Amino acid sequence: MAALHRVAGIVLADRLTLKMQCTGTNNKLKKLLTPSLSIAFCMTMLSLTALGQAPDTLFSLHSLKKMSLEDLMDLEVTSVSRYPQKLQQVASAVQIITHEDIRNAGARTLPEALRLATNLQVAQVNSSQWAISARGFNNVLANKLLVLIDGRRVYTPLYAGVFWDVQNLVLEDIDRIEVISGPGGTIWGANAVNGVINIITKNSQDTRGLFVEGATGTTFPGQGSVRYGGRITDKLTYRAYATGFKLGGTLDTNKTVANDDWHLVQGGVRVDWQPSARNSFSFQQNLYSGRPNPDASDTSIKARGDNILACWRHTNNDKSSFLLQVYYDNTFRDFRNGFTEGLTTFDIDWQHRNQLGRHALTYGLNVRFADHDVTNLELFGFNPEHALLRRYALFVQDEISLFNNRLLLTVGTKAEHNNFTGIEYQPNLRMAWTGIRNHTIWVAGSRAVRAPSRVDRDFFIGLAPGINLISGNPLFHAERVLAYELGWRSQPTATISLAVSAFYNHYNYIRSAEPGPPPFYIPITFGNGVKGHSYGAELSVRAQVYKNWALRGGYTFFRKNLHERPGSFDLNQAGAESNDPSHQALLQSTVTVMPQLSWSVVARYVGRLKDPYIPEYLEADMRLAWQMNRVIELNVVAQNLLNKYHYEFIPEMPDKRRIERGIYGRIVCRL
Amino acid sequence: MPALRTIAHMCGIRTWFRHTAFLAVYLLVCCQPLFAQSPGREYQLKSVFLLHFTQFVEWPETSFKSDTSPLIIGVLGNNPFGAYLEQAVAGEKVDFHPVVVRYYKKESEASGCHILFLNAEPDKIAGILGSLHGKNILTVSDRPGFARQGGMIYLFNKDNKIKIQVNIDACKKSELVLSSKLLRLAEIFEPPKTNN
Repeated sequence: MAALHRVAGIVLADRLTLKMQCTGTNNKLKKLLTPSLSIAFCMTMLSLTALGQAPDTLFSLHSLKKMSLEDLMDLEVTSVSRYPQKLQQVASAVQIITHEDIRNAGARTLPEALRLATNLQVAQVNSSQWAISARGFNNVLANKLLVLIDGRRVYTPLYAGVFWDVQNLVLEDIDRIEVISGPGGTIWGANAVNGVINIITKNSQDTRGLFVEGATGTTFPGQGSVRYGGRITDKLTYRAYATGFKLGGTLDTNKTVANDDWHLVQGGVRVDWQPSARNSFSFQQNLYSGRPNPDASDTSIKARGDNILACWRHTNNDKSSFLLQVYYDNTFRDFRNGFTEGLTTFDIDWQHRNQLGRHALTYGLNVRFADHDVTNLELFGFNPEHALLRRYALFVQDEISLFNNRLLLTVGTKAEHNNFTGIEYQPNLRMAWTGIRNHTIWVAGSRAVRAPSRVDRDFFIGLAPGINLISGNPLFHAERVLAYELGWRSQPTATISLAVSAFYNHYNYIRSAEPGPPPFYIPITFGNGVKGHSYGAELSVRAQVYKNWALRGGYTFFRKNLHERPGSFDLNQAGAESNDPSHQALLQSTVTVMPQLSWSVVARYVGRLKDPYIPEYLEADMRLAWQMNRVIELNVVAQNLLNKYHYEFIPEMPDKRRIERGIYGRIVCRL
Repeated sequence: MPALRTIAHMCGIRTWFRHTAFLAVYLLVCCQPLFAQSPGREYQLKSVFLLHFTQFVEWPETSFKSDTSPLIIGVLGNNPFGAYLEQAVAGEKVDFHPVVVRYYKKESEASGCHILFLNAEPDKIAGILGSLHGKNILTVSDRPGFARQGGMIYLFNKDNKIKIQVNIDACKKSELVLSSKLLRLAEIFEPPKTNN
């Protein structure tokens, strides 16, 4: 997209006929070329299988103390995930961000919480925009990562990425975030080319009572949440919440605060019912309305949405279980210049797991309809305006336990059918060896695909009616990756766990911007003209150094080497519209100074970005939490302490913004 | 912070980072003896159980030096609770007695406490319980067979949940009074009848 933006920029700057004919096109185009480029990528298959038992996720001591002895005797000691499989045995590179990690870091929003996984590239662009990816290809329009909230896929076909400015949760109610880097594998589905983020909220039986919090600081006017969780019977629990914030603007190049404030308000309910040990049902509904304003213009974008999700888990016995999930998701985005995008998604997912001797066979079916409806501008939009995207997918996976459970071999494939390219196959093969106690060595090979989306095929930007500057390509193929990974996970003592992984990805048919035919070389169109490879390594560690001192951290090394395929004249010069650091690292230290006082520091380092150039930076966040009494907790959080302001990512549009140092205070009441 | 920046500039950010990384690895690898047991959900739950026991048991007046002397929860042996037990009892009071936590390595040190959580070797338990006889200490443990050996409250896992087993006989041999609210929720341990 770099060339795309630059070309359009040149055109605008030269004040051609285009600008005169369409009043305010300058602003319109600028606004539109921000992450509103749509790549309707039909992603298949949700990741329904969470990875298995995370390191024990802790209760909130406060909700525990409020419970009666009877209630305490009803709580499950080990948190059971969908398919109990020890995290140790998983043949993937996984990092887990726990609820405590998020609280201790003083994160205010979901993207800030995601910084805590070093196998993700997370860069704040401005007040409401973030560039988030795994294993490279990072961009505000990053499209190689699958993100799920409680099993609901959050993404926009506008560019097959995520609008982070409308993803929000009451962070207190997050149980954990599983970040898997590497092709999501057969289970998680397509578009999980480079990774999967699985955000899991707590069951409503673990969030009982009244929770109220409010925060304000030097970089933002305010944030607040209210949540009440209750119980109707001992098997039926619920919670209702409302949360909202207004985050302040970031600094523009003149070092004045830009007008890019971000407002977001969200509310919802969740109900969980566990009538017996064999069946559990979960239902949730969320609604939100937001006003992101990345361009710092006079009118901010209006975004709103609502979603409903219902899930039924049934365990026949030790050997057989299934999961049925249905969700409906409706989003609408008005760019306030005439362009609007509406997306209604309906998704049914079924998974069945069966243990037959040493084979654990899982298969799944998924059907997904997405109704994508835009209102075009005269010279910008999608052709046709309305499209019904259908995806059907089937996956099969066998986990074979060999050599007395010491070797777990996983073979599987997914076949999915999308509107554009018919059937795509994503096979994978994984092996985990747990021969030595407390150590796991794993290897994996997989093929993953990013199917074409609407921006690749249906998009256009016109110079004049009938003359296109940029056009989608009706023959755009899926992008492909062949990934080879290996890793070692170890828990040498009860108090340290560490994991190392290395990968080599071979990419082909990555999107390029190809010039049109002479004499004017327009319309520019999208080709599959880039291929190449990337390789790297990821390290993560968690240690309880002393009774009161916990450390966690990670380091990621990444290199990418892309070039044009023969016959391609990529205007982006095989940049794949991305900007990735070679090194990044994080260290989070939490000390419980006294039973009521906890002090946490997060230090993060991100290496330099090449083009556009951003220097390496080292930053630190600090949080002091004081449990004043049973009910009230006070926090003081300082963010981005080390530099007065710094850049993290420069988008093509809008203007680059600096992230500044800030300090905020928070009051939390738990009743 | 200026110091940090100066260091970073002097050595270059990369060098600084290398040093920090080395220090972190050194700490992790070489400071083994410092490492304590990391409590999971299970011990987080059990620490709250102990707090509840302070409220459901009555001690005789002789157990407390004064009206406001502390109610002591002791942990004998390695501490499996991490910081959770202390956090659970922080600020709590029972009948004006502030609840505090003490850690003991030998049973001879533990005679002043009111509740004692035994995390000792199974074969030593009977001996420890013998030496605590008559001291009006509520003995609690999660070691298998605790009730049979004469312990008062045994915490065990059933169906992935924590349950309570109470040895009424052992409680009757002391002056402790257990509330019916607690007994109602517990499994009562019946010692096998011996023929005289």
